[in-house]
Amino acid sequence: MTLEMFRIDDRLVHGQVVVGWGQPCALGFLVLVDDAVAQSAWEQDLYRMGVPPEMEIIFDTVVTATARLSEYRADCRTGMLITSDIDTMVRLAAALPDIRNVTVGGVHHKPGRIARARYIYLTPEEALRLQALAACGVTVVAQDVPQGAATPLDVLLRGEGPT
Amino acid sequence: MSSRNPETTLPWRVRAAILLRLFAIQGAWNYETMMGNGVAFALEPALRLLPGGHRGEPFRQAMTRHSGYFNAHPYLAAVAVGALARAELDGVPVSQIERFRVAAPGPLGSVGDRLVWAGWLPFSSCVALLAFGLGLSPGGVVLVFLGTFNLLHLGLRIWGLNAGWSQGLDVAATLANPVLRQAPAYVARATALVAGMALPVAAHGIIGPGRVLLGGVLASVATGALIVTLLHGRLEGWRLATLALAAFVLFSMVR
Repeated sequence: MTLEMFRIDDRLVHGQVVVGWGQPCALGFLVLVDDAVAQSAWEQDLYRMGVPPEMEIIFDTVVTATARLSEYRADCRTGMLITSDIDTMVRLAAALPDIRNVTVGGVHHKPGRIARARYIYLTPEEALRLQALAACGVTVVAQDVPQGAATPLDVLLRGEGPT
Repeated sequence: MSSRNPETTLPWRVRAAILLRLFAIQGAWNYETMMGNGVAFALEPALRLLPGGHRGEPFRQAMTRHSGYFNAHPYLAAVAVGALARAELDGVPVSQIERFRVAAPGPLGSVGDRLVWAGWLPFSSCVALLAFGLGLSPGGVVLVFLGTFNLLHLGLRIWGLNAGWSQGLDVAATLANPVLRQAPAYVARATALVAGMALPVAAHGIIGPGRVLLGGVLASVATGALIVTLLHGRLEGWRLATLALAAFVLFSMVR
């Protein structure tokens, strides 16, 4: 197994990740890529408490994640990389062309964002960034849990995602 | 992360009001703010203690701040509510409070989901199934389920509020509690044990000593498993459960 999943989710570590994906996919490690969290000891402590004892959580900035991706790829455990926003994933994908699949698992409401699915709200700029990511050959889908259907980006941006 | 002011107190009357309101934390749940309105509602009695009371500007700003998006496990949200109440009354900088509101929900949701939804709820269901198999009346089975489930439910809410209040924003130490860290694994083992006892006893209770219904029960189970497998990824669990419940009610009425 290896680092297989790349997820955008503004909640980072939460039940859908740890239980929803963690148990059926037997996740062995999580790579949390967030420049602010990577500099904040108390936030790391908090996120560390959110994962079960048998799951490792690693905190990276975009720069350190880029440098260590081959190491994560070589890991015999199944892993998931999570970013809290689209920008961070776009920066990672630009630095690492071997990221071929990105799942949008949760981008929640803020002023200026429009509902695209019940768990995805995007500003027009964020929608454009996801389209640009897809134009680079990355398959972008929306999927919150493994039991849910994966919604292709074009369907999502038409507002026809899960409601 | 933050220095707590030991002189800040939360009157018991206010603490009881918060606890009571925590039961309605999902009362205004919606996809935009999730339980944000509920968090503000639960915090409101504490925020009235801010300078100027409920007509003051600090109160208004805090209520606005806490009505925004917040999504955690409903029971463990008590930890966040206690911590946020302490932070607001201690006068912790708004930037730290807002950062906490972003960081805390995920881990609280994760711990709660593992402990309650993936652990204690199946355990309580298996205990109730065992009670059914042992011949308890329908009302008794319901009471066993509610009693078992709410033992943890109520305990988590009360403990969470107190722990959040005493730790403030340094709540990671609270989540490091061995009960929260290790309990899901032990509860899973206990569930497997109780399920192993409950299933044959309950099946015996349904089928009875004869084997007349055995074929029908096995066929129903196999059909149900096939339908669930075929619908995997197409239909969400709660919709499937609602359909099954509706079919069961319809069958009972026709019968």
